[in-house]
Amino acid sequence: MWNLFRSKQSSREVAKGRLHLVLAHDRVGLEGGKLQEMRREIAAVISKYVPIDLDAVEVQIETKSRATELKVSSPLPARTSP
Amino acid sequence: MGRAIVITSGKGGVGKTTTTCNLGAAMAQLGASVVLVDADIGLRNLDVVMGLENRIVYHVVDVVQGKCTVQKALIKDRRLENLWLLPASQTDDKDAVTPGDMRKLIAELKANHNYVLIDCPAGIEQGFKNAIAAADEAIVVATPEVSSIRDADRVVGLLAAQSISTRLIVNRISSHLVKKGDMLSQADVIEILALDMLGAVPLDEHVVASTNKGMPAVLEGKSLAAREFTRIARRLVGLDVETVRETGGGFFTRLTRALGLSSAPAA
Repeated sequence: MWNLFRSKQSSREVAKGRLHLVLAHDRVGLEGGKLQEMRREIAAVISKYVPIDLDAVEVQIETKSRATELKVSSPLPARTSP
Repeated sequence: MGRAIVITSGKGGVGKTTTTCNLGAAMAQLGASVVLVDADIGLRNLDVVMGLENRIVYHVVDVVQGKCTVQKALIKDRRLENLWLLPASQTDDKDAVTPGDMRKLIAELKANHNYVLIDCPAGIEQGFKNAIAAADEAIVVATPEVSSIRDADRVVGLLAAQSISTRLIVNRISSHLVKKGDMLSQADVIEILALDMLGAVPLDEHVVASTNKGMPAVLEGKSLAAREFTRIARRLVGLDVETVRETGGGFFTRLTRALGLSSAPAA
């Protein structure tokens, strides 16, 4: 019985996770659509310098204390020419 | 010269009015001269929570429109030596008062009393702007729920933009649910909102009964909620600065120390 519940995240943890995500976006005032638009533009800029998979670029807004930061991650391929 | 403290939350129904009523009564019990101002024009409630609804003659809009003096509109609470209520109007709308009116009114009250507690309406529109216009500091009330904390965070941002220093009261916390993992703890709320905490008021059925009767819980004895309201009032009037009480064991105590909550609040 105990094991059955143990593997599940508590509703308290779920609430915390949801709040972190919601507040990060609220604090910056960027709605989902705008964020995707920005992601596409950033991906396009990176691809001008390095050949990348445009869909693999990810952007995330994170907040700690009252500071908010934007995290962009993109896998970069190894160069093929010498 | 007194201090004006606005009690606000963003979301409705989280206990702003009950908090204003109990902190005001507890501060008056401790000897401070306190005026409670109901800034929720059109939807007044502080009068019924205080049990003073039958004694209203004038209200805040009458004062602003020059129909009577502030002194004349204040209702003296007969249960305590130095507690007064300035009721809201029930018929006007929020635009009947401007931020400028509020600054003038609150300055007059501060000249004659130690503390002016302003009960802010829910929302972040005109009523909120009026209520915070004259505040020297703010108390944000939040319940440990996603929607309440989200709205509180919005309000914290708006208060910060006006350079109003803000502290937090977590209301209706149940240590039983926190232990079960079904409620955010006070430490969780502090971490998420990144605010200094004044106190955490437990979920307590005594408050429901007190509100039914129009009697501040702090005047009815030592229920858990009443004790916490009194403790917060002591902090507000600068009587003592004990640590936030724990509900979740030793870890929380360490966390509050790490967050600097054990130290004296800024004057």
